[in-house]
Amino acid sequence: MISVTSALLVALSGMVIVFLMLAVLCGMIVVISKVVAALTKKSESAAPAPTAAPAPAPAAPAPAPGPFGGEVALIDVDEKTAACIMAIVSHETGIPLSELVFKSIKAL
Amino acid sequence: MLEFSFFGTLGDILAGSGFADFARDPRSLIMIIIACVLLYMGIGKKFEPLLLVPIAFGILMANFPLTGILNPPDGTNVGLFWVFYQGVQYAVYPSIIFLGIGAMTDFGPLIARPSSLLLGAAAQLGIFTAFLLALALGFDPAVAAAIGVIGGADGPTAILTASKLAAKYLPAIAIAAYSYMALIPLIQPPIMKLLTTEEERKVKMEQLRPVSKAEKIIFPIAVAIFVILLIPDTAPLIGMLMLGNLFRECGVTERLSDTAQNNLCNIVTIFLGLSVGCKAQAETFLTVETIKIIFLGLFAFMLSTAGGLLFGKVMYKLSGGKINPLIGSAGVSAVPMAARVSQVEGQKANPSNFLLMHAMGPNVAGVIGSAVAAGFMIKVFQPLVGG
Repeated sequence: MISVTSALLVALSGMVIVFLMLAVLCGMIVVISKVVAALTKKSESAAPAPTAAPAPAPAAPAPAPGPFGGEVALIDVDEKTAACIMAIVSHETGIPLSELVFKSIKAL
Repeated sequence: MLEFSFFGTLGDILAGSGFADFARDPRSLIMIIIACVLLYMGIGKKFEPLLLVPIAFGILMANFPLTGILNPPDGTNVGLFWVFYQGVQYAVYPSIIFLGIGAMTDFGPLIARPSSLLLGAAAQLGIFTAFLLALALGFDPAVAAAIGVIGGADGPTAILTASKLAAKYLPAIAIAAYSYMALIPLIQPPIMKLLTTEEERKVKMEQLRPVSKAEKIIFPIAVAIFVILLIPDTAPLIGMLMLGNLFRECGVTERLSDTAQNNLCNIVTIFLGLSVGCKAQAETFLTVETIKIIFLGLFAFMLSTAGGLLFGKVMYKLSGGKINPLIGSAGVSAVPMAARVSQVEGQKANPSNFLLMHAMGPNVAGVIGSAVAAGFMIKVFQPLVGG
């Protein structure tokens, strides 16, 4: 058996340990994200500037203009949400955004 | 000379049959009826059918008298289900299921908003309060701990803890855990409405930042190193969860990831369901304790939901109203059903609300949180059961 005090202590310390553990994980994720972001930035700045690269050989024609540049009629939808919807549709259908044409996005 | 009597032989067959055994002990018949009801709920009502159907059939098989299907090895023979059960006894199946869950889970929303982890921690409240209530109802401390873990809303974790701390009550605990997980869309919404205001439920959350591939690869490795070093008893669950996630994210093990989240997970689900069901025999299942466990499981689920929501309200205040507290209830694990409930309730309050991805953060944090809580309970109480 277990005394009431010990039971309360177990419950309380269990809850505290779970919180502490996940709080430390939270901190760890923040640190990892910052380190990765810093390293990415560093490697990007270390890479040769695009202008210094040799001119690419003429390749396939550029894809047809996508839905960007104000072609999509947004009705009661902000740009951020619209971009999100377009990305989801592209991801779900497996069709690159450059090959999709959106005529309008309307909030229901 | 052989003296053969048709009616005598027929009488012998009937006297040695399972039907005759029902007359001696009708409790097996009650268990068979319960198994048929559970099969109906799984097939007819589609309540967690992938688990409920094998569990129910396991109950059915285990309660046919005289089969010897659960007999331990006697030198020449062994019961088939006894062999299957070793995978639960030694925590093999729950760990492999966690491998599959890891391979299916995108931790991106959690990495994008790490504070979600705190919601996953708060939603373990039910584990510890149900533990206290189970003690008050007269359960042994180790059994009370295993019952409390139902509140983590995580079937494999509840099974693993019960197999280590309360093997006798494993079927009741597993059935309670999976039944309530199936009933989450019914259990959570009233609590969500009770503990949040209309204004809070309407909050639209900002888009999550994109998470780089490097972050997604480092995450499972770092979590495995940190959590397992700190609480070694979490190694089977956290280790396999993170390995499965690494298969998914590292980009060079697609075949392993595919196997872990599909074929392997499905195969083990069959054995896990049958093994859990086969331990539900009349003499251990038809008891007052089972009814208490079912009640305590519901209590644990409700308290865990409330814990997540209340901490969600704290985060709502601290963030100046930017975090919708409804995502807190998803901290109870039950991936992804709890997150879907947050989405549905959020959209009821504000039709333009899309909380699903925001709720996935606390949802997957809840998986880690319940594994940590279970590891803690095992660490504290396994010495009491001689493990």
